Amino acid sequence: MERTILVPIDFKVESLNALRLALNTINEGKVNVVLMYAKIPTDSISDFLFYSPDEMVDSLKTNEFEEAIAILKNRYESLLGSISVELFHGYSANALSNFLEARNIDKIYFSKNYKLKPGKKGFDPTPLLKKSRVSYQEVGGESVVAERKTLSTLFNYFGLEIANH
Amino acid sequence: MKTQLKIALFLIFTNSLMLLLFGGSIYYFLYNYSYTDFYKRLETRATIAAKYNFDADKINAEPFKIIRKEHLEKLSAEKEYLYRVENNNDLAEMAQKSELPMAFLKEILNKGKATRQMDETFFTGIRHESNKQTHIVVVSAKNYYASNHLLFMRNVILLGVLLIALITTYLSFFFSRRIFDPIKHITDRVKQISKDNIHLRIEEKKNDAEISQLISTFNDLLNRLETSFETQNNFVSNASHEFGTPLTSIMGEAEVMLMKQRSPEEYQQSLMSILGQAERLNQITQTLLYLAQTGYTNKRVNFEILRTDDLIWQVKEMIDKLNPKNNIQVDFSLLPENPKKLKVMGNRQLLSLAFTNILTNACKYSNNKPVVVTIASSDDQVFLAFTDHGIGIPESELPFIYDPFFRASNTRNFEGYGIGLPLTRNIIKIHNGQLQLSSVVNEGTTVQIRIPLAKIP
Repeated sequence: MERTILVPIDFKVESLNALRLALNTINEGKVNVVLMYAKIPTDSISDFLFYSPDEMVDSLKTNEFEEAIAILKNRYESLLGSISVELFHGYSANALSNFLEARNIDKIYFSKNYKLKPGKKGFDPTPLLKKSRVSYQEVGGESVVAERKTLSTLFNYFGLEIANH
Repeated sequence: MKTQLKIALFLIFTNSLMLLLFGGSIYYFLYNYSYTDFYKRLETRATIAAKYNFDADKINAEPFKIIRKEHLEKLSAEKEYLYRVENNNDLAEMAQKSELPMAFLKEILNKGKATRQMDETFFTGIRHESNKQTHIVVVSAKNYYASNHLLFMRNVILLGVLLIALITTYLSFFFSRRIFDPIKHITDRVKQISKDNIHLRIEEKKNDAEISQLISTFNDLLNRLETSFETQNNFVSNASHEFGTPLTSIMGEAEVMLMKQRSPEEYQQSLMSILGQAERLNQITQTLLYLAQTGYTNKRVNFEILRTDDLIWQVKEMIDKLNPKNNIQVDFSLLPENPKKLKVMGNRQLLSLAFTNILTNACKYSNNKPVVVTIASSDDQVFLAFTDHGIGIPESELPFIYDPFFRASNTRNFEGYGIGLPLTRNIIKIHNGQLQLSSVVNEGTTVQIRIPLAKIP
């Protein structure tokens, strides 16, 4: 069975833990993943003129983030179909339901313990996603530190951040 | 030849060449033009002369003459020759009279038009036919323009080329010096820096991106050199201290024993202690030897394809034997499904030595609290993380942890020499990997290692 799931991210390695935990709950089939980053659309007309979502995603992606995705791809090689990173610009529930419908999202996964820390002009879409008609599931929650550490210990920068926690 | 001179000469050469080409082509084309133009002028005159002499009747001829006099400038040494031609004998006669060459006259007759230059005089002749009679009209004059104006022009161009070439020469030298002066300055400054005053730096320049980049690169290099010099100095003092301690205790032990006659038990005990110290010395020397060998990368180590998870298990088994109380957990939650992604090119002995070092340190400094080893891999490298909950390393001492014999200030209660981590880092370096360490005092240390995957087709 092929399905598409959505995980909101903030381009930090920790936010990918939700994806890891989500994939742990799915045992078979093929899963396509949409990683969604919510960003307030620009109000400058010249920015719109040169608007390119691919470039924007590229500038937001860090090396660690890409490597973490590669690690997850290798870990769940047989389960994962495609992973794509998509930008969502919008505030309303309607805009979001359009976004979800266009990508055939079957389920949304959140991390119970990690609150997204979006960068400049970004916002946390969790409340909006919870109100949508697509069903969602919260994953994780047993041990905060252990859960979050797994992926981020591999990356120095985040490892430090966790250790200070 | 100096690069400065080379650049200057190159600039001078190319610029002069272009100038000469420019001046020369102006002169050449103008020269050509002046000739064709002059012949055309002569031809016009010949045509007009033929018209009023042979075509027009007497009444019409007068205005022609007047127009010609009024509107056509009199050329210097202008001369007209008008002849009627009936047969070839006339030509010979004509040539004799006018001193014009026979060939020229024949050419006019045959082709209808011809030009010729003799000395400074130019001739244009045309064949004119009217009332069934053939005439030859020749007009000759001296080309004042060509002989005077062109000469003047040539002198002006030559002078201009010479002048501009001089200016170019000056500018070329000026610019090449301007470019190379800062570099010369850097060279002079770097020459001053030697082993004794390695603290000296080259002062940074503003408004010169490339040069200041070069300077900052030099300064970075000097910084690194200075650090490594210091490390070297520290190494000698640390090493002598490390070697000195067991030697002193061996000597002391032996001296005390030799003071008087002792019982065999006492000798045995003392020899045991001496043996212990000697073993310690041997161990230090062995590790130092390893450190030195791994430090020189010119010595090629034998590499084979290894599975990292396999290696970790072997190391864990070995530590289980040596220290049964250890609590090493291997975390496979991120292990890739494809075992190919765990294979690296490496030397089995060296890599297991590195992992053993890290894991024994993790167990030692955390008093056998849990140590987690995480293995994961991206598309081009294997990630290994060793996390312990030990005493950690003070932040201020983190920059020195790779110096041989350096030991953090909070490690007094633990035995060790401070050679393990530098050795481990050398080993990872040989494998083209990276080793990073982050630590918080009393919370724990995380060692991360990345090793490039083996390229298996």
